[in-house]
Amino acid sequence: MFDIQLGAAGEVVMAGRLDATQCDTALKFLDVVAEPHVIDLARLDYVASAGLRVFLLTQKRARGLGGGLKLINVNQQIYDIFRYAGFDRIIDIARGPRATGE
Amino acid sequence: MPGEAAQLPLLTQFLQQFWATAGLPAAGLNSFELALEEIFMNVAMHAVQGGSVPRVELSLARAGDSVTLAVEDDGPQFDPLSLAAPDVAASLGDRPIGGLGVFLVRQLMDAVSYHRVGACNRLSMSKRIGVG
Repeated sequence: MFDIQLGAAGEVVMAGRLDATQCDTALKFLDVVAEPHVIDLARLDYVASAGLRVFLLTQKRARGLGGGLKLINVNQQIYDIFRYAGFDRIIDIARGPRATGE
Repeated sequence: MPGEAAQLPLLTQFLQQFWATAGLPAAGLNSFELALEEIFMNVAMHAVQGGSVPRVELSLARAGDSVTLAVEDDGPQFDPLSLAAPDVAASLGDRPIGGLGVFLVRQLMDAVSYHRVGACNRLSMSKRIGVG
């Protein structure tokens, strides 16, 4: 299951599993968000390299528009994947309240 | 199992069932789901480029506190471990769009090995998952 929608404050909310079969859906959604900024990942359970590509492409577009992405409420497992890929250097990533351990 | 991207959810289910049946700790599952996706999608992508769909065989084994996942395909010889590591310190503008998959698998697994077995590629990945 993967779900993507706009939240009440204009943030993008992702939930479930962003695997390779869901990336087109995610990108199509993000491509029509005029200025993507905050993406809430509190309910995102899974991401792999295909999913990272979605964030990378969206960050490139956001920067091109003069802005930038902020990923919020990122769980520890997903944060580790971002960090291994070095995405913590190129995207603003804030961990969720429950993911405080090192 | 045909090596087509659309089969990924089915393979993931198979892995999840193995995990549940063996009573393995949930915390270790994510790494194996990722490893499966990366390696299977590589095979499926190369198949699209090569024009024919390979057969893919998945095997899972637990020995003590270690789990081994092996993905075997009958496509053209290809060692994904021969790929150069991506530059994970590059700036946004210099980031290529792909190339991270195998790198992530190496980060998450304890051991990864490639063998050409007869007419098949076999990629074997194992990791200790912290059960007694």
